[in-house]
Parts: sequence; structure tokens; C-alpha cells
Amino acid sequence: MEEEEAPDVICELENVQGLVDALTAVRWKRQQDAVLELSEHGIVLIVEESGCLQAKVYLKRELFIRYDYNARGGRPRFGVSLGHFVDCLNAFSVPAGQSISSLVQIQYPGPDMQLLLKSVDSLDASICAEIRTRIPDTIAWDYNFEPAGANPLTFTVKSAALKEAIEDLEWPGSSIKITLEPDPPSVSLRAEGHGDLQIDFMYYVNSELLVAFQCDHQASFKYKYKFLRATTSNMPSSVIKENRGSKLSIGRGGMLKVQHLVSIAKPSVSHPYADSVGYQQPSRIAHIEFFVKPEESED
Amino acid sequence: MEITLSDNALKTFARCITCLARIGNELAIQASSSQLLFHTINSSRSAYQCIAFKSGLFDAYNVSSNSLQCSVLLKAVCAVLRTPITNIDHLTVRLPDPDAPKVQWILDCYNGMRKTYWITCNVEPDIHHLSLDRQKFPSNFVVRPRDLSRLLANFQSSLQEITIIATEPSSLLTDASNEIGGKEVELRSYMDPTKDNDTLLHTQLWIDPKEEFLQYVHTGDPIDVTFSVKELKAFLSFCEGCEVDLHLHFEKAGEPILMAPKFGLEDGSHSNFDATLVLATMLISQLHEGAASEPPVGATGTHPHTEERNASHMLQENCRANVSFEPPSDHTRIWSDLSASAFKSISPLEERQAQGETILNDDGQREIQRISTMQISGVASVPGNNPIDSNVPTEKDHGQEPQDAMQDNGQAISQHHRSNWVDAEEDDEDEQDEDEQDIQPTPPYYEEH
Repeated sequence: MEEEEAPDVICELENVQGLVDALTAVRWKRQQDAVLELSEHGIVLIVEESGCLQAKVYLKRELFIRYDYNARGGRPRFGVSLGHFVDCLNAFSVPAGQSISSLVQIQYPGPDMQLLLKSVDSLDASICAEIRTRIPDTIAWDYNFEPAGANPLTFTVKSAALKEAIEDLEWPGSSIKITLEPDPPSVSLRAEGHGDLQIDFMYYVNSELLVAFQCDHQASFKYKYKFLRATTSNMPSSVIKENRGSKLSIGRGGMLKVQHLVSIAKPSVSHPYADSVGYQQPSRIAHIEFFVKPEESED
Repeated sequence: MEITLSDNALKTFARCITCLARIGNELAIQASSSQLLFHTINSSRSAYQCIAFKSGLFDAYNVSSNSLQCSVLLKAVCAVLRTPITNIDHLTVRLPDPDAPKVQWILDCYNGMRKTYWITCNVEPDIHHLSLDRQKFPSNFVVRPRDLSRLLANFQSSLQEITIIATEPSSLLTDASNEIGGKEVELRSYMDPTKDNDTLLHTQLWIDPKEEFLQYVHTGDPIDVTFSVKELKAFLSFCEGCEVDLHLHFEKAGEPILMAPKFGLEDGSHSNFDATLVLATMLISQLHEGAASEPPVGATGTHPHTEERNASHMLQENCRANVSFEPPSDHTRIWSDLSASAFKSISPLEERQAQGETILNDDGQREIQRISTMQISGVASVPGNNPIDSNVPTEKDHGQEPQDAMQDNGQAISQHHRSNWVDAEEDDEDEQDEDEQDIQPTPPYYEEH
């Protein structure tokens, strides 16, 4: 009898909640289509809206306890509903308080080209889920972020502060202008509508707010509020609790890149030789990137 | 103008804004060399709140002009204070010049963020002034906010208006007081006669001011005031947040009531701010429900209506007895006292009563608005307000025909009578039979009229 062909990817993950958090961060509306791209390096999930906003979640193979990649030829790509994917993963989450961790196996493709999720190493019962996949539409733009000039325009700010600022900027009811000033080093977010609001991050006021700042010339671009809000609206609470920073970069033509880091693994309590409290291996972190196109200038 | 405040002063300031926003939509700001005034009035002009901040409350207080005023939308100010107070190092409010189109509100946060809001000033500010001397109110009580909240919890949360009935703690009632427990104050849910109240819970609460109030002052005949619950609760939360007692001043139905925080023994002298809330009250006194049926019955003088009156009176007693769950004899005494006092008050209040009744005769769809209009009359009668406002309602009243008023009385009787019939049905079967007989004469009466 001919042996069944091996799936393209079989991987196993120990902490599902971390994965749910990472995927939820790029969920800005209820119905959202996503594209999953598989490679020997890991999994990338891509979502997009209106050709103006794109988000990517990078899940490196090191995040998984097991990662078997057997695809032949090009990298497999398939479409899946982000909402369904997150909801299914939630079904595998271990209730809070339980010390036993559940191992989840993800396999693609299934017999009918589905995405298969299954709990393994469970003593009581096994949960299985099949998610229908689609042939993905061609991504309208797969932007290759390019620096604005010889020197980067970038700053890192506390994620909580960034989220708070963007939420406050909803009040004026208009687009948001981001301005980077080299002297004095500061970042301003401003909106003008039925009222005006400007929020300033001063580099020298509090070193814990604006963690890093690089800017050699003034730069100012406008972005639609709803796209900027999408970059922080569903930021996982773990990011806020861990007091992480979010990095924002302005690229050529005003393209804005927003980067968040979401912890996937549990705190390394099981590593007695950790150098410091709360230390986490870089490989246990998911990288999330948003790309926002600027609003065209009316001038 | 530029003012700055922080810490506890900022918390007080935020609490004041929250309360003002629950009263009205527009914030009127007036600044002088010694104090800053914030006031607002609700859309139906039945609630007016004023808060005065002394210059000592602020870390910095600079007002260049002798008098500076503008107005902004309160929801915009609330947007400023969405930032948690614990995150704010200090707040600066700046009006560059008297004619500036926008007011700057600058938040410097502990985490290093600075938020600068520019709130647009209203083009035509609606600034009102209302000054009432709280010492001239004949009746008042002081209550802890928590205690009053507990009492109000007995009422349906969706209740719109509430009636407070105050009676005199008299030595003549010594025996009754010992027996009853001295329940001289009644809280009663107000039932709007123009609405379908079948689904509403009707609650009456008799309380002993010695137990529930810190202070209670009332002399003379029983009086009642009916006013909005929404604003009362807003001010109640405000007083509780400021950790002060609530002082409520009132006079009688149709006259405004005034609430203020009670700052310890010396009223307001140790505080950097003061607040007053003035509410208009319903013109119709709830104490004259029984008396309302007297004039039309007296005019006709027919035997069937006499029976109706007697039955109505009896049903009222039974109804109250059921609601209060007290021994009939005790409740009867209370009702008798109120009833007797009410009858004594018929003559002096006849004109006002007629004025109130004519409101019911207006277009039903706009009755609530007209009641609000009359409430303005109550507020406007206070010295210092625009005299034009007080003339308009009066003219409308004079235009009403006496015949319509009579018809309106009939409607009031019918509604009240039907309500009692439903309540009496729960009492016993005999009462129900008696009610059926009493209802029959009603149609012929209307046909004749």
C-alpha cells in the first residue's frame, strides 16, 4: 500500500494563550481574512485592509516544541478566517489556574486541505478542530519597507502610553499627524477637528517613556485615525503588564511601521539558571508588525 | 487667564466636572480675581448647578481681566479628564485673551506625556445666573449621602421624579410619636398621570428624621416637593465623593429646592470650593389629591357623587394601609393628620392649584415640556433672573378657559379612582363588589357634562 504523503507542516505548541494573544493583536474587526505562509523558518500570518493597512505576525519555528516542515517546492500559502482561527485556538486554552499545560498540534494540510488542530498528551479527552481554508487572493501589496533616508527615523515608546495616546486622539475626530523633531528630541501626535489635541512625548522628560529616539531632521506625516487605532486597539494585556515598548519607524514616503513584541512562552520559572528575574529567551517572543500608508497630502 | 491645579485639588475639580456633566451640556466659565465659577443648566431648564472655586484651591491662579467668561461643551471637558487622575501631575487651563476662540487644557502626566486640548468656545454662550439665599428656605434637612442612597435604593431605579413630604415634629403628637415612631417625613415615587403607570412600581417610604437625618427643620403645615431623581443622584454621588453631607432646602410645591454640601460645623468656611444645585419642583401638590375631588362634587351636589367621594376616601385609606404594612389604626392617624392639614390649606393655595391644573389641559404630547416651562416660572420668580422669562408662562395661564379646567378635573378623578379600584381588588372580595357598584355611575356623569 502506498504510504500517505506527509503534511507540509506539523508543529506543536505548549502555550496556546500566547498564540491567541499574538493573533488577537492584529484583529481589528470581527470578519477578517488572513493568509498563512509556511516556511522552514516558521509561520507568518498576514492581514490587510483597504490597501492602506497591513499586519504581520511572525511565529518563528523556535516558538514550537516541534516543527516539522516537509513542503516541496514553494512555500505553502492558504487563506483562513482569522476570527475562526482565534476562536478555535481559544477552545484549546487551558483554564486559568490550572498547572497542567495542554499541547496543541497544528497540521496542514488535512485530507481535504483543512487546517487541523488537535490536543495531544491529554489524559482525559482530546479536542480536534478542522478549519476550512481558501485559495488566497493575491495580496494587493507586499510592501518592502525602506528607510526614509540614510539615517532611520524611529522611536520606541511604552506600548501602554502609545495605546493611551491613540485612544485619546479619537476625540477630535480627524486624521492624526505624527511629527518627529530632532531639537528638542520629541514626538508629537496631533489631531484637529471639532476640538484640537496634541500629545507630546518628550525624550528628556522621562527616559522610561521614550525609550529610544533617532531623528536627524523633522518629519511629519498624516495617517487615518482608524488605521492607527488598529495598531494598538487589541494589544494584549500581557504587553501592557510586561511594560514593553513599541517601536515606530517612518519609512520612505511616510510609510509607518509599528512593531510590538508579544510573549508566547510562559515565564521561565522552570529555568533555575536564568540570569535575571523575568528573563525570557528572545526565541519565545512573537513579532508583530503593522504597516500604515500615510494619508495623501492635500497640498 | 491661566490656572493650574494638582493632587487633591485636581480630584475635587474632576469630581465637580463629573457632576456638572450629569446636569447639563454646556459649561459656563466665569473668572474673577478671587474665584472661578462653573455653572450649567439642563436642557429643560429645571436644574441649575453652580460651583465656585476659590483662588486658594489652585497652585497658580492668574486672571488678568476683572471679569472673564466663556462657555464650552461639558463632554469636551470630560474628554480631557478621561485620563486617569492618578496619572496626571498637574492640569493647566489657559484662556489667552477674553476673545480667544479656544480654551487650552494642558495635562502633564507622570509618565512624561503632555496632552494639550484646545476646546472650542461656544459662539453664543448661554450663561445664566441664579442666586438663592439658602437661609430663607423655611424647611431643610441634612443627611449623609450614604444614608440617602440607601433610602433611595428602595425605589425603582428608573424612577423619574420623587416626592418628599415633610410634616412638623410637634409636641402635640407626643403620644402618636411614641406609638408610631415619629415618621414625620415621607418619600414617595411620583406617578405622572399622563403616562401609563401600570408597569411601574409605586413606593412610599415613611422615615424618622431623628434616625435618618443629621438635621431636620420644618414647622407648620405639611408640605411636599416633587423633583427629578436624576439630578438628585448626581449631586448625591458628588457629595459622597467629596466626603461631605448633603443639605437640602425646600419650601413648598412649585418653589425651587436647593441642595448644597455641608462642610462640617462652619458652613463652607474651611473649604476652597462650594456648590449649589437648584431644582424646579412640580407645581401640583401631591398633598391635594383628595382635595382635588371636592370642587366638582360640591358644584353638582348630586347624591351619586357623594357616594363616590366617600368611597374614594375610604379606598385611599385602604390603599395606604396596604402599602405601608402598618397597623391600620396607626396609619389612619397619620393620614388623618395629613388630610386635615391639606384641607386647611385649600384656600390660600387655590389659585396656584388652578394654575397647575390648567397645565394638564394643554396638548398631552407636549405636557411634559409645558410642565418644564412652568418649572422655569418657579425658578424665574427668584430675584435676579430675567423678568421676561417669568411673564410668558403667566400669559399662557390666563388664556385657559374655566370649562376646560373642569373637564380636566374629571379626568384626574377618573384616573385616580380607577387606580384605587385596582389596588382595592387585592384587599378582599367584598371591597371588589363595592367598587363595581361605584364604577357604574361614572359614564352618565361624563355624558351629562
